[in-house]
Amino acid sequence: MKNILKIAAAFILLLTAGCHKEYLDPVPQTSLSSLTVFDTKDRVEAQVNGLYDGLKAAQFLGGRYFVYNDIRCENFIPKSSNLVTGYSTWNNSVITSTNEVQNCWAAGYNAINTVNIFIEGLDESWNAGKLTGKITDAEYNQYISEALSIRAICYFNLLQLYAKPYSMNAGANPGLPLRLKAEKSSENNDLARSSVAEVYAQILADLNSAEGKAIANYATSVLNVTRVHKNTIIALKTRVYLHMGNWASVVSESAKIVTATAPYTAPSGVAFLLNPSYTNIWVAPYTSRESIFSMPATSTDNAGSQNSLPSYYFSGATESYYLNTAAGTAYATMNAADVRKTSLTLASGNYFISKFTDYTNHANYAPVMRYAEVLLNRSEALVRQGGSVTQEAVDLLNAVRTRSFAAGAYNLASFPTVNDFYTLMIEERAMEFLGEGIRNMDLMRLGLTIPAKNGGSMGSVAAIPPTSTGYIWPISAQELTFNKLMVGN
Amino acid sequence: MKRILMLFSLLLLAGSLAIGQTVQISGTVTSSEDGLPVPGVSVIVKGTTIGTLTGTDGKYILAVPQGSESLMYSFVGFRTFEALIAGKNVIDVTLETDLFKVDEVVVVAYGTQQKRDLAGSIATVKGDAIASVPVQSFDQALQGKAAGVSITMPNGALNNPPVIRIRGFNSITGSSYPLVVVDGVPVFTQNVSQTRAYANGLADINPTDIESMEILKDASATALYGSRAANGVILITTKKGKGGKTSVTYDGYVGYTEPYNIFEVMNGDQYLEEKNVARTNAAITTPLVRALDANGNPIDTKWSDFIYHKGFQQSHNVTFSGSNATTSYFLSVGYSNQDGMIKNSSYIRKSVRLNIDHKLNQWINLGANVGYTSGLNESPNTGSDFSTAGAARLAFVLPSILGPYNNDGSYNINGAAIGTQGTGLTGISYYNPAPIFDKNRYTNQTDRVIGNLYASVEPLKGLVLKTAFGVDNLSSESTEFLTGLTGDGFSSSGNAWNSFYRPNRWTWTNTINYNKTFNEKFNLGLLAGVEEQSTKSNQWTAEKATVSDPFFEVYQGSWVTARMGGGSIGENYFISYFGRANFNYNKKYYIEGSFRRDAFSGLSADNKWGNFGGASVMWNASNESFVQNAIGSIFSDIRLKASYGRVGNMSGIGDFSSLYLYGSGLYGDIPTLAFSQIGNSALQWETSDKYDFGLSFGMLKDRIQAEISYYKNDINGLILSVQQAPSKGIPGGTIPQNIGAMTNTGLEFSLTTYNYSTPNFSWTSTLNLSTLKNEVTALAPGIDYLVGVTGGLETTNRTVVGEPIGNLFVVETHGVDPETGRRIYVNAAGREVLYRHEITAQRWVYKDDGSVSPAITLAGDGKVWASPLPTLFGGFDNNFAYKGFDANLGLTFATGFSVYNGSKAGLRDQRFWNNSVEVYETYWRTQGDVTNIPRPVYGDNVSNGSAIPISENVEKGNYLKVRNLSFGYTIKNLPEATKISKIRLYAQLFNAFVFTKYTGSDPEVSTNGNANLTPGIDRNSAPQARTYTLGVNVNF
Repeated sequence: MKNILKIAAAFILLLTAGCHKEYLDPVPQTSLSSLTVFDTKDRVEAQVNGLYDGLKAAQFLGGRYFVYNDIRCENFIPKSSNLVTGYSTWNNSVITSTNEVQNCWAAGYNAINTVNIFIEGLDESWNAGKLTGKITDAEYNQYISEALSIRAICYFNLLQLYAKPYSMNAGANPGLPLRLKAEKSSENNDLARSSVAEVYAQILADLNSAEGKAIANYATSVLNVTRVHKNTIIALKTRVYLHMGNWASVVSESAKIVTATAPYTAPSGVAFLLNPSYTNIWVAPYTSRESIFSMPATSTDNAGSQNSLPSYYFSGATESYYLNTAAGTAYATMNAADVRKTSLTLASGNYFISKFTDYTNHANYAPVMRYAEVLLNRSEALVRQGGSVTQEAVDLLNAVRTRSFAAGAYNLASFPTVNDFYTLMIEERAMEFLGEGIRNMDLMRLGLTIPAKNGGSMGSVAAIPPTSTGYIWPISAQELTFNKLMVGN
Repeated sequence: MKRILMLFSLLLLAGSLAIGQTVQISGTVTSSEDGLPVPGVSVIVKGTTIGTLTGTDGKYILAVPQGSESLMYSFVGFRTFEALIAGKNVIDVTLETDLFKVDEVVVVAYGTQQKRDLAGSIATVKGDAIASVPVQSFDQALQGKAAGVSITMPNGALNNPPVIRIRGFNSITGSSYPLVVVDGVPVFTQNVSQTRAYANGLADINPTDIESMEILKDASATALYGSRAANGVILITTKKGKGGKTSVTYDGYVGYTEPYNIFEVMNGDQYLEEKNVARTNAAITTPLVRALDANGNPIDTKWSDFIYHKGFQQSHNVTFSGSNATTSYFLSVGYSNQDGMIKNSSYIRKSVRLNIDHKLNQWINLGANVGYTSGLNESPNTGSDFSTAGAARLAFVLPSILGPYNNDGSYNINGAAIGTQGTGLTGISYYNPAPIFDKNRYTNQTDRVIGNLYASVEPLKGLVLKTAFGVDNLSSESTEFLTGLTGDGFSSSGNAWNSFYRPNRWTWTNTINYNKTFNEKFNLGLLAGVEEQSTKSNQWTAEKATVSDPFFEVYQGSWVTARMGGGSIGENYFISYFGRANFNYNKKYYIEGSFRRDAFSGLSADNKWGNFGGASVMWNASNESFVQNAIGSIFSDIRLKASYGRVGNMSGIGDFSSLYLYGSGLYGDIPTLAFSQIGNSALQWETSDKYDFGLSFGMLKDRIQAEISYYKNDINGLILSVQQAPSKGIPGGTIPQNIGAMTNTGLEFSLTTYNYSTPNFSWTSTLNLSTLKNEVTALAPGIDYLVGVTGGLETTNRTVVGEPIGNLFVVETHGVDPETGRRIYVNAAGREVLYRHEITAQRWVYKDDGSVSPAITLAGDGKVWASPLPTLFGGFDNNFAYKGFDANLGLTFATGFSVYNGSKAGLRDQRFWNNSVEVYETYWRTQGDVTNIPRPVYGDNVSNGSAIPISENVEKGNYLKVRNLSFGYTIKNLPEATKISKIRLYAQLFNAFVFTKYTGSDPEVSTNGNANLTPGIDRNSAPQARTYTLGVNVNF
């Protein structure tokens, strides 16, 4: 018996001595630990780019967000009734649990939390002095500026689909839950909606803070188009104020980046300028001075099939959308000589926009904002502010219009009443920004009815008046379920 | 290395302790049946491992230590015989055949035991029960073979891993799939392919190499697998050489497989008629028209002919095996080439195995079990769920008025989709299967070595030290080629994608086993062990797009665009200490306890270690004289058993789930870093408390053997991905936490009866029945339910507290309103609502007063409808033998469950989709028609359940299947010159018939594969396959 015990004990001792204790703490080789991400400037910079990457999510500004804002309006008709490619949005049958309603919401807030986590982490490291000697004060400010701008863009864009426009009830309607703190645990699920006005106030607070800290320009045109600098922020503010009906602020902000006379350009920082050719804006490398802010895409980094803009607008894509040619649509309004019309692609009897054609690689940049919009924002605000059509407003409008339609120049006499100006302005914007996600925002901010449309075998869709519950999207079903303080639309 | 040297010196040291005086005993062993000598009988000195085997003449000589009491004679198929030595030098023995298989030895965790000494719940299936079944992997053949074991073939796609559930669902977000251990090595299971061609990890074990499969069910049996035991354990033991002389066998079959119950859809005439009615009803003024084919006939395509065919199958296996007193060996070579019922799908397996065991001397034993397998899987996209390329779906969704080819012979295509050939159809995004089957290719090639090397020494009588080092090295290479002509590759102008996946594992197990009998009545067994297991996996992909020339169909060809590849690297490690003690008094009172302490690398520092264990007691009443006296004439055996234990499930825990991580990506061409994972340092194993009570008995001298068990599994700490408010922006939207709870309870009954057993005619029946009651008892706080989503698109299941997991979730419908022909929905308030697709402004109206109703939604109006889990299932096997003839009838059945027949929603959808003939024949035509098919309105995707799952499409799944039907004839007594001892010829029909009222293809279905939250869904799944084979077994 003694022998048995001896042998057994020796055997066990021998075997336990050799176990690979270090194997119990493996280190991942394809992800970084949260402890190391502020170790170097490159990593901080990579995180800043990660914020943009969040914005560029396929379900958000990487593609689908813009699509929803166009196809819920009257200008497009789907080739396919596939629910995956926005059919419910097109025929206004989205409900709280519809995929796009939930996915877009989640993508927007993912981007927001990525910003919040970054700001919290950066401030922590910065305040603890861990970044001393690695990044400068100016760089720190620039990163914060970019982060705040991205958060503002997210909130602004989510507002346009999920909340009533500011013009209704002066922003007192329910807006969005304002998430401003980093969420890294299972706490804090419940948060009530702030009002539309409160969300706008936060957007402006972020943009104003960002403007003061922003870099003037980057070293390359790609970076100037794909990262936020001072003039980007100002341009965004013209859009935000326009949506709030704060015409004076649109005018004052746009004055910072629009010269008094043609050729209009930004006098300082990145010198925005209308591209001479409308069609060349959409050609690689997509970095003309007209492009204020775009989401980049490459053959290796793109929103992919069923998400990218080419998937929705390229004539050869199976599930793409062609132009509705009925009276009153942008297509019908465009003059036959207008480059914006002549550049359309005709395929199987239907007209497609030709802006996003790299269906093979999905590598078209997704334009968030163009300088043409700033000019039109300013033009419209000038008129709405003063209550009468001014020459400067007409010149700004013409700058955009005559680039594509030389014979189409307006003059003061073109607008017998100020309302004629407003009508033609909205038409112009519809023609200019087809497929760029502006149409829905324009209708919303002015409280206009979304026109009816007939899609033939795809069905017809009735007009959606601002009083209809379908005028804006419902809130994501998941949010309603898991955020007990959330109320639906 | 140093450790190994030390180990061996220790073993030698130990060996030198066993020295003593011996006497020589010899004799002959014969069979009681025919009086002939029996070769290969194991003759062992009782209570030791000292022993030998009888030679071809049945003779043996053994050196027996002085003072030994008796010799034990055992051989498969004979009852073990004990002969007292009592000073004799010659002992001749006659062995009685073990007709009723009561002396079988079963494999248990880290050892073997006599079947009758088992207190734990273990089901055994012998290899020969499945060896000739024409399947790709043995698990497919296990259906209905063991009580408490549910096996579901997801569909008929080749080499698709079955869903295996041992005593119910044991996890929610983790896996409920059991641990599979092959010759002591835990192996990689489930689908190991990275592409559409399935590759069942278990197919790498050649079924004909399997000696036995033990299914460990209760905690007492599984406790030694600790943190991986909650789902049950399947132990696979491969064959060993036995018998005195070399045995050579050949097993082969040829046959073919075909689908059964393919949907009958409308032909061209019917399609045109029905769809044009639907178009008229939708106020579409342009009717569909039909083009003529090249022969001038109106196009009428039966698309299933382009998808399915009879697949030829063949399999060949050759084995060599034998043994002598010191060495046994088993060598096998296998080749199996099976074409599936879906065109272009095939599976080729080439395998070799060498198992060898050698007694170096009286104390040292060495051996190895090594198998190498090469598997090649090829398949088109077979579908399930919603893929527009899924072959199973294309077989019934495509309009029969479209053809595969244009009249000039070119493919009928329009970009990615099928062309519409002037029919007036629009919006078709489905693909033409002809070019896709011709051009696209998905393959998977596996190369795998599963094996172990072991050495054991017995330094003292009853004490065995064993060390075993096992590996499972798998390489799995997947390739895809998608033509740029049409289909999935169209948008990228052709696409080639390769992936390599290599999970590698080593397991080093060291055990000490001590068995001793005291005073002839106290039997003690002790086991202690240490085990380490390290698993590393490495996967990467590469992709290219835009083919330079249509000639190139491989990644290595010439392409214009390189795509960013991807991949992952995983790593985990277990270190475990375990022990078991069992004790019985005079084979009457049994008690056993097991313990395992596991550490797993994926958990946080505070939670790495977990303790698991189990205990059992058994009373063998039939060994009590008062029982024997009372009922011994009827009951030859009566045992009462009880066990309890706690085991774990770590399948829901990732390799790095406790860490806060940042992932990197790209923003255009600039690298990014972003928060990607919330670490959860509180995460632990899921634990399962298992209770088991059993009664087993034998009657009429064991002619009837039965076992009844009641079990209850209390599962706690289930890891749930707790959904966070999306506005928190948590990566992935969820955080895993140990918060769920669930129970499984059930009764198992198995009965084996030897109805007839005369030399000329025998009939044996095996029946097993299992009930299952699964109940989810807790979900996360604030979470009322978990949704199950099919194919990423359709919410089909909802798991709620107080109900079984994965209940079907649908909107209630009340058939079709005979007055209007509209589908009647029932809203949340219980009011009936009609759907009128073409009245776009007011589609939903109340049935009672015609006023406008809010739209019915699944979220708002859906109901938890029915459970898809069978409450009773089992199998009934009958084996007959008459002279040289033999026959097998294997039945399986399941009842008490429902299936969501999502394919039916598709088959009735009123878009351009083709419909079942039922739609054509019975759609609502005029007022007063009583039917299930509403008034067809072109474009209507709601009324039949495509947009919202409806109760109309939930059906009872009860079925009885003739799983296996075979007839054989064995020729013996062949002339000596042929050197053939036996030939068996057989014909076999696998998956022969189904008896069911289910209207889909087959109620045995799992569109969502092994997923826990979405059972019972039939959504565009391929039908099951029926296989006919003719085979031969030859023994030389």
